[in-house]
Amino acid sequence: MSRPPAERQVSRTIAADQRLSDELTRIGIDDSAASPTVLFLASGVAWLLIGSLMGLIASVKLDLPDWLGGAGPITFGRLRPVHLNAVTYGWISLAGSGMIVWLMGRLCRTHIRWTALLFLSAILWNIGLFLGSALVILGYSGGMEWLEFPLPAAAVIALAFILFALSMFRTFAARQVEHVYVSLWYILASLTWFPLLYVIANAGLYQGVGEAAMNWWYGHNAITVWFTPIGLAGAYYFIPKVIGRPIYSYYLGLLGFWSFALFYNWNGLHHLVGGPLPTWAISVSIVASLMMFVPVLAVAVNHHMTALGHLSMIRYSPTLRFVVFGAMSYTATSFQGSLEATRSVQEVAHFTHYTVGHAHLGMYAFVTMVLFGAVYYIMPRIAKWEWPYPNLIKVHFWLSAAGIAIYFLSLTLGGWLQGLAMNTPSIPFIDTVNLTKPYLWGRAVGGTLMTIGHCVFAYHFLLVIHRAGPKRFAPVWFRKAEEVAAP
Amino acid sequence: MTLLPALLVIVIVAIVGASLALAAFFWALRTKQFSVKQLNEGASVIFDSVEHVGKPTDQLFKKPGLQNDEQTSG
Repeated sequence: MSRPPAERQVSRTIAADQRLSDELTRIGIDDSAASPTVLFLASGVAWLLIGSLMGLIASVKLDLPDWLGGAGPITFGRLRPVHLNAVTYGWISLAGSGMIVWLMGRLCRTHIRWTALLFLSAILWNIGLFLGSALVILGYSGGMEWLEFPLPAAAVIALAFILFALSMFRTFAARQVEHVYVSLWYILASLTWFPLLYVIANAGLYQGVGEAAMNWWYGHNAITVWFTPIGLAGAYYFIPKVIGRPIYSYYLGLLGFWSFALFYNWNGLHHLVGGPLPTWAISVSIVASLMMFVPVLAVAVNHHMTALGHLSMIRYSPTLRFVVFGAMSYTATSFQGSLEATRSVQEVAHFTHYTVGHAHLGMYAFVTMVLFGAVYYIMPRIAKWEWPYPNLIKVHFWLSAAGIAIYFLSLTLGGWLQGLAMNTPSIPFIDTVNLTKPYLWGRAVGGTLMTIGHCVFAYHFLLVIHRAGPKRFAPVWFRKAEEVAAP
Repeated sequence: MTLLPALLVIVIVAIVGASLALAAFFWALRTKQFSVKQLNEGASVIFDSVEHVGKPTDQLFKKPGLQNDEQTSG
């Protein structure tokens, strides 16, 4: 039995009011996050360019060792750590923080609190990065991978992170949503654990073998409690949001998070298989690495089943294109990492380029690609300006995808052959080095493609910030609050 | 700091980290984050009445001629 016309009219009016209210609320929340988000994202993009350039020069130096070899500051041993720190603590951390600020507003459905702390945090973070990079270039490296920045620079970055976390926790405390969405679990965990980890690792309390143990406990846990949660938080938000479909199994999502929290932080010492550490410590780490199949499968099944039947939308959505690429890479790099932790695989892969390929599969193909997707989604909504040249996004995607594919395949194959050769006593060491040369060129080619893609991305990013280029009305048009509210 | 004291520090930090995780877990239990109701509805908190379930929100590569009411406005 149909309702009377008057009742239908009332229902329609109430629904229209609700839609108007929801849209204004969402735009208001996005606006509250806009300035700090742009500051973090723009800083991240700047460090991406710096880090890419450093990485490219370092990569070419592996092929041409005498190139730019005349001065200490531009030797491989200084440029390579600057590359690592610029892309991890610069690009991924800063762009990831920008994404977190924006997601925090959306997931808590409230305005961002204590934004002054966020501005201070971004400024300090950039100062710390600049100081640390300059000191490493001048030869004052801490000497441990992932911890090259000397104490003064690390202290500034730690302070910046704590200020950032305070603002985010304050926003969380003011949330208007009872339920904590799975992305938020990953974000809150990273905000709690990473400052603890970073401060302890930089405290300089260790020496000798203990220092090596701490180094890799930190190195792997930085990925565990900071970089991976950034990628997973993004994937868990953007895949369902872009498709317009809730994640396949919310139960599986939470199982994935809690098993991730339980197993992942034990993984670090598998980097020291064969080292002078207690066997039990390394064995525990290997077992925990294999247990990572549980959360990884939970995430992989969830993302795959959510996208199943909607993958054609990749054609239309730049965000989905990057994020799905990242999510698939997460599964791949995690499976590879678990197997790589075993003693039998490490017999060959340890101390080879294979490990470098694996690291880039995680940090680039997974985390960085998710972040690119996030930036493509967030920026138009806070700048109220659509990306002016969609073809540039396609160019960026294919340069990045092809670049990382060439990079990963070259180093995986070359590294494995290198390991087999090093395990053969009859092969002179110099032959194991010469064997890798073609694969190192592959690495440089892949890095070049990625760097060109980053330049395209940065140019396009600048256009959106300045609301430049052709104004696009379709298919997506982002409106300001006053335009939505206008009758 | 030699190996055993270093491992001790790592173990202590791990216990602190794990304690924080446990505290979060019990907070989640207390606030009924894992109740059947919240688990069933939780996946939808990223949607609202405008960007609702069934509505894609990122269609930049779609040609204007292919527009339909699935396009987003916010």
